[in-house]
Amino acid sequence: MISVSDLSYAFKIGKKEKENIVPVLHHVDLHVAEGEIVAIVGRSGSGKSTLLNLISGFIRPQTGEIIIDGKQVSGFSESKWAEFRLEHLGFIFQSFQLIPSMTAYENVELPLVLKGVSEKDRGEQTIKMLKRVGLEQYQSHYPGELSGGQQQRVSIARALILNPPLILADEPTGSLDSENEKELLNFIKELNEKDGITFLIITHDHEVASIAHRKVEIRDGYLREGSKLHEVQR
Amino acid sequence: MKFKDKHRFVRSNMKRNKTRVWMTILASTMGCAFLIMLASVGFAIHKTAVDDVMSYRLMNEIEIQSENGPLIEEDVKKLQDIKNVKAVSRKKYVPANELSLGEYTGYADVSSANIPSERKAGLQLEKGRMPKDKNEIVIGYHFAQELRKEMPENFTEGMSEEEAQKKMKKLAYDGDLLNKTLTYHMKVDNPEIKTETQIKTVKVIVVGIKKKPNKEWIIDSSVLITDDLHGEVMPLLSEIDPELKNSDDSYSSVKVYTSSAEDVKAVSEEIKDKGYLTYSVVSELKELNIYFTLFKAGLIFIGGIAVLIASIGIFNTMTMAVTERSQDIGIMKAIGATPKTIKRIFLLESGYIGLWGVGLGTILAYLISYGVNFALPIIVEQFLNEKPPEDFILSYIPWSLTVIAVTICMSVTLLSGWRPAAKATTVDVLKALRRDV
Repeated sequence: MISVSDLSYAFKIGKKEKENIVPVLHHVDLHVAEGEIVAIVGRSGSGKSTLLNLISGFIRPQTGEIIIDGKQVSGFSESKWAEFRLEHLGFIFQSFQLIPSMTAYENVELPLVLKGVSEKDRGEQTIKMLKRVGLEQYQSHYPGELSGGQQQRVSIARALILNPPLILADEPTGSLDSENEKELLNFIKELNEKDGITFLIITHDHEVASIAHRKVEIRDGYLREGSKLHEVQR
Repeated sequence: MKFKDKHRFVRSNMKRNKTRVWMTILASTMGCAFLIMLASVGFAIHKTAVDDVMSYRLMNEIEIQSENGPLIEEDVKKLQDIKNVKAVSRKKYVPANELSLGEYTGYADVSSANIPSERKAGLQLEKGRMPKDKNEIVIGYHFAQELRKEMPENFTEGMSEEEAQKKMKKLAYDGDLLNKTLTYHMKVDNPEIKTETQIKTVKVIVVGIKKKPNKEWIIDSSVLITDDLHGEVMPLLSEIDPELKNSDDSYSSVKVYTSSAEDVKAVSEEIKDKGYLTYSVVSELKELNIYFTLFKAGLIFIGGIAVLIASIGIFNTMTMAVTERSQDIGIMKAIGATPKTIKRIFLLESGYIGLWGVGLGTILAYLISYGVNFALPIIVEQFLNEKPPEDFILSYIPWSLTVIAVTICMSVTLLSGWRPAAKATTVDVLKALRRDV
């Protein structure tokens, strides 16, 4: 599903003439198979978020290549990336990233709107998805009127609405209490097992990492392959 | 993203900042209304000038003269052969100008005309018909006023001008002249001729009365006789005044009428090529139009400055909208909105602000224009004790001005919304999502 080869990234800090180059990722190779849950763990500043941002297309790699779902994406233009994200990727963010002026229904519906799906089909799919995450009765609520757990479920519903094969999650339980965290992790497992969705999860939480089939650690910008957890758990 | 969804999206965004959006719309409304109103004054003055010129003449009329002297029948034939010439009206001056009905006598500008040509040229009658027989004539609308009883000597002496006019009116003929038989006196305006010899008369019947002139101050007391009657009258007059025997068969006035106003230019050119001099309303209007077009362009330019000022408001509103919504933009981009979609949403929003401003501004301008034109004569009469000229308007908004104003306002609006819309596409997703790299 994801194939990252020889990926490097460095920040440029300061003014043009006096800029400092701070390397973040060094020659990273990562391969995620279809239907896999991979957890990327590491300390703060280790480069795990940078890796996710590169795989999401939010920043461009300086060297190396990224192939997602068989497509060489590292050379994509901004528009191409946007189209690719809409079709192939779902996102779960730590701070949910819902549009505050839109209701739960409208937030979930947004990817369908961007894709140009008809209003009738959108209605059916959105309600179905809200039912799936157990928020049908909250559809007209604004994010500010929902609890953290409910907001995260709206965000998951939005990520799933276009049935993407891959979901990228950045500290998905970071803003949740333990009960909601458990619920979310079970839901991720269910989605993976029933729908075959691939997950790439960035976390420093061992509880979250424990649901992954494989754990990959980043330390000082270098990737270190960890144990295959699912074998142990199963 | 479908247009309907973009529209819904923009509408909900505009609703969120109602006051700011409406203030911007108000500024655009005022800018647009100012532009239209200012230019409408130029359009009104232009229209008044053009109407004034056209009220005296027909658009498809070309006056013809020749450097070689008066025109003759041969010239008329040449003119008739030109393509798109509908009619050639030609008149011959008749030196006898006295007509009478019983004790009433009147003096008129008498000329003979080719009746079929006059009919083709569009001579309009108030009542009656065109002459068919030799002794039938058509008179001007005001000719009856010229027929008066003989004034006693010193009749108006010691009277004020107003009183004298009233008295004179009482002497004028007060009846319908249609189908009346008048006596045409063969008198010539030559002091050397003795009055005893000026006794010959011809009976003529009034069969038509010409249409009332467009302007109230124009007095039409002319008389139109047939070519046949001219042929009979001239030998009689020559007997009285032998000098008239030498008068040739030339026309005192020749006018060409084209099939339509659009043909005037081409026909004029062809007539000029044949060696004649031409004059038409079109040539007069051409110069008038150049002058007024420059004048109107100047007014539109000044009005455009107001629109530019209003556009700063739109630019400001849209820039603030982009800044405020940068997180929403970031989320949308992260999910899969292309820069093109983001740009179009913001352009649509500035377009809607402009459209509302232009719509309301145009309606406001029409209302002000109507109000000004309605109130101005009343105000002038109240404060200056004078009536403004007939048909005078201070503001005139033709559809072309509306189109020009709408185009200018919408273009300026879209241009002012372009930069913020472009800025929206450059919103950094990571910064907008407040995510660490």
